Amino acid sequence: MNKSLVSFLVFVVGLAVFHNAIFPIFTPKEVGWVLNRYVYFLLFVAYVIITNLILRLKPPIAMNALFVWSLGFYFYKFVLYPPIPWTLFITYMVMWSIGTFLYVSQDPETFREFRKPIVKTIVGEYKFAQIIMLIAMPILVGFATYNSIYPSYQEPVELRTVHPAPPATTKVHGKTYPLESTNNPFRVDEQDNYKDSFPFLDADKTEYMKYVTEGGTIFFQNCHYCHGDQLNGLGMFSHVFNPTPANFIDPGTIAMLQEAFIFWRVAKGGPGLPNESTPWSSAMPPWEEHLKTDEIWKVILFEYWYTGWHPRTFGTEGSEG
Amino acid sequence: MLGKNKRSITAFSLGLILAMAMYLVPGMTSDAIAKEAFAEQVFAEEAFAKEVLAEEEAAEGEGESEVEWSQDVFYKDWEGNPLKGPVSGFPAPELDESDYNNYEFAPSRMLLWVANQQHLYFGSFVLAVPIFCMLIEFIGIRSKEEDPVMSAKYDRLAHDLMKVSLTAYSWTAILGGVLLFTFITLFPGFFKYMAGIFRPVMHVYALMFLAESGVLYVYYYGWDKMSSDPFLKWVHCSLSVLLNLIGTILMYLANSWATFMQAPGGIDSEGRFLGNIWHVIHSTLWNPVGVHRILGNIVFGGGIVGAYAAYHYLTAKTEEERAHYDWVCYVAMFIAIFGLIPLPFAGYWLMKEVYAFRQQMGITLMGGIMAWLFIIQAVMIGLLFFGANSYLHNGMARVKGSHRYMKYCKYMILLLICCFTMWMTPHTIVMTPAELKAMGGAQHPVVGHFGVMSAKNTAVNLMITTTILCFLLYQKANKKITVPWATVGNCWIAAIFVGAALNIIFLGVYGYFLPANQRVGLSVPQVTTTLTTLFAGTAINISMFKDSESYGDIQWGTQSKVGTYAIFLLAISFTWLMGLMGYIRSAVRLFWHVTEVVRDNSVDAYTLTIGEAGKMLTFNTLFVWVQFVVVFWVGSLTGKKAVAKAPEGVPVPAQQQ
Repeated sequence: MNKSLVSFLVFVVGLAVFHNAIFPIFTPKEVGWVLNRYVYFLLFVAYVIITNLILRLKPPIAMNALFVWSLGFYFYKFVLYPPIPWTLFITYMVMWSIGTFLYVSQDPETFREFRKPIVKTIVGEYKFAQIIMLIAMPILVGFATYNSIYPSYQEPVELRTVHPAPPATTKVHGKTYPLESTNNPFRVDEQDNYKDSFPFLDADKTEYMKYVTEGGTIFFQNCHYCHGDQLNGLGMFSHVFNPTPANFIDPGTIAMLQEAFIFWRVAKGGPGLPNESTPWSSAMPPWEEHLKTDEIWKVILFEYWYTGWHPRTFGTEGSEG
Repeated sequence: MLGKNKRSITAFSLGLILAMAMYLVPGMTSDAIAKEAFAEQVFAEEAFAKEVLAEEEAAEGEGESEVEWSQDVFYKDWEGNPLKGPVSGFPAPELDESDYNNYEFAPSRMLLWVANQQHLYFGSFVLAVPIFCMLIEFIGIRSKEEDPVMSAKYDRLAHDLMKVSLTAYSWTAILGGVLLFTFITLFPGFFKYMAGIFRPVMHVYALMFLAESGVLYVYYYGWDKMSSDPFLKWVHCSLSVLLNLIGTILMYLANSWATFMQAPGGIDSEGRFLGNIWHVIHSTLWNPVGVHRILGNIVFGGGIVGAYAAYHYLTAKTEEERAHYDWVCYVAMFIAIFGLIPLPFAGYWLMKEVYAFRQQMGITLMGGIMAWLFIIQAVMIGLLFFGANSYLHNGMARVKGSHRYMKYCKYMILLLICCFTMWMTPHTIVMTPAELKAMGGAQHPVVGHFGVMSAKNTAVNLMITTTILCFLLYQKANKKITVPWATVGNCWIAAIFVGAALNIIFLGVYGYFLPANQRVGLSVPQVTTTLTTLFAGTAINISMFKDSESYGDIQWGTQSKVGTYAIFLLAISFTWLMGLMGYIRSAVRLFWHVTEVVRDNSVDAYTLTIGEAGKMLTFNTLFVWVQFVVVFWVGSLTGKKAVAKAPEGVPVPAQQQ
């Protein structure tokens, strides 16, 4: 039997068996340390490589390219979990396709070999392949056209700026705060130094913990319905909002922002966002209407304490102590 | 590697490193030097201020003082208080409708954008080419005794490039004139203010332009005459150094206008000049922008020369021509990639200074309204690395003996793709509500980790390290190493690269466990690690070539078409990317002509949508390439001039015999 055909069958049949029989074993609801879906994928890749080596199949470069591309597609479409949004999927597949192209075109020899079956199909040397192509192409184009014009009722995607540039100052309860130089008053020591040294959580400091506890109380009275009792943005109401409430556990939210930025966001809420951040789509209330200034600062103190993140600073004081 | 002689490789690599050092060291060390100089200056100024104040006090009884003192918007003294200076200019104007003119057919801002961008493109090219010529001519002189044929080839290449540059130089001057008139006619109010502040700088700039022109003409037209004598040839080469120095000063002077607009210094909050022109020039972004632009110019110039050579390579009729242009492509790419490797680091430095100047401005760029443009930038940078690596892989194939290393190419591609995937995963993903629900939150639990700087820094450093490794393999592709310490040397190179990769990954992961302000600091050891692979790897690699045997010459003229098209991809990507980053840097001022001092009250003071900005960038790219084609065509006209032969029977003048 033609070795290329065997190699192709090894891939296709192997994929069918792996996906239907072995994949369910590796995908319990809770991802385990060893038996997880990513280990499964590595096993499948190892199976493809080892089988081809043992049987000395040496598939042509075009088929290798097909395998490489398909593995990428399979990973992004079925293995990676939770499923990634369509825009990201397309981006990743473009990357992977470029990579596949670089692989086949890494030297003139491999590229010539890669082009050979394509050219032969086009000029008619591979008659059967040409017929299949001529039938498949219009069907694919038709299918794509059908998909693109089929009415969709989803709300359109929106480019939204999540962390907009803050204003220079913000006015809360009649007082103007310059955001670049404002610090959390409950994190400033007797000498007026900003305490953000690492580790900055001194549990023995009863006064500090008192403020944290007060902040926690305020958080659970007002914020956890949306931001979640684990501060992960998955509160009981979170699923009905778009955009979803901020996930404070994520390294890309409060971990990279100054406390003054959070203060401005909490105080002004959704309506206080600039236009590029679509204030009309945020459900966050302006908390200055419900909380006192000190209460806002205490909530912020609690959020950092709970998540273990450190507020962003721009000075050198962070390296002290 | 650049030819038949291995010494030329060493000389070329060393030449490039020295040239880089010459330009970069002053920039990199300028902070320390500037601080010291600044301390002295502040001390002197304070002493002067005290003296003046004492005089004022003494003169109080005699009438009111005429000198008014005001606080600088940027500079501070040692106690952190704003520096004071004597008010020496008029306050910034409150611009209104009468300060702006416009045409019916296009908004003034777009016209200015086009004029500015075209001038910058050409300016960048004409500043880059003398750097190439300086290096190439130097290599030519150094290799003259050992390989006169190669030496002559280098000399011819430098001369040809200069010929094109000469036409482009005039073009740049014309575009500069267009830009100046566009400013004066469409933004007269703003230009009046800038001219008031920068009056002496503008005059020095014009004089420097004269000097640049003079040296350029002597350098180009004296080429043949000064080639005959070895001493004169060295003098000629020295002229190129002078040419580059003047060019760099010119660029830095012009940069000061842009950096002042973005991050002003030397004026008070009303925009009044405080008497120290150096403060106005040397504002906080001046140094990083300067270094970034020098590197950018080298990459851009390399891309254009590469594309020019690639076109001639694809259309060459003879083997000799193909071989020549293949070699020119290689020299251009070598220079471009050498500039490309440190470019992201200069970019980081610039961004760090932007953040330090105004956090707000930094957030607008990286997380705010400009963030999506940065995603596009990430894609373009990835394309550059793909193009560069594709060229190197394909180029390696024409080197005898390269089969030993070609098998590693696919793994390098895999690493590049994985890093690039990480590099361009956005923190905020565009998605529909249904997708958001399916994902369970705004951040993906796996790829969401790639959205922060720790991952990005790791990815880009690994991409650069991979490119460096690819380049080292290219260098040694046709060499049979004979030095007794070959195994030790190879082990060292392997250890450096494996160690570097592990260190970069470790630092990247460690960054997730540190506070943000300390995490930012990790980029320094990551960059140092990458640069170590570049310098230590290249040094060990070149040392191993001593007395090496060759598997055969590089088969110039056999470069694959894919590799050649990669050069076009690089050139176009450079052009587009340069426009994009220029737009971002400029647009971040939002509704200010001069940040927080002169407000842009024109009807054009809005931020473009991404689509509109993209159209403008594409237009500028296409427009400049059309001009480059014309300039190269004009430059080639002199080359095509046939030697006039006197008809038979006509007496030939004595000087032609």
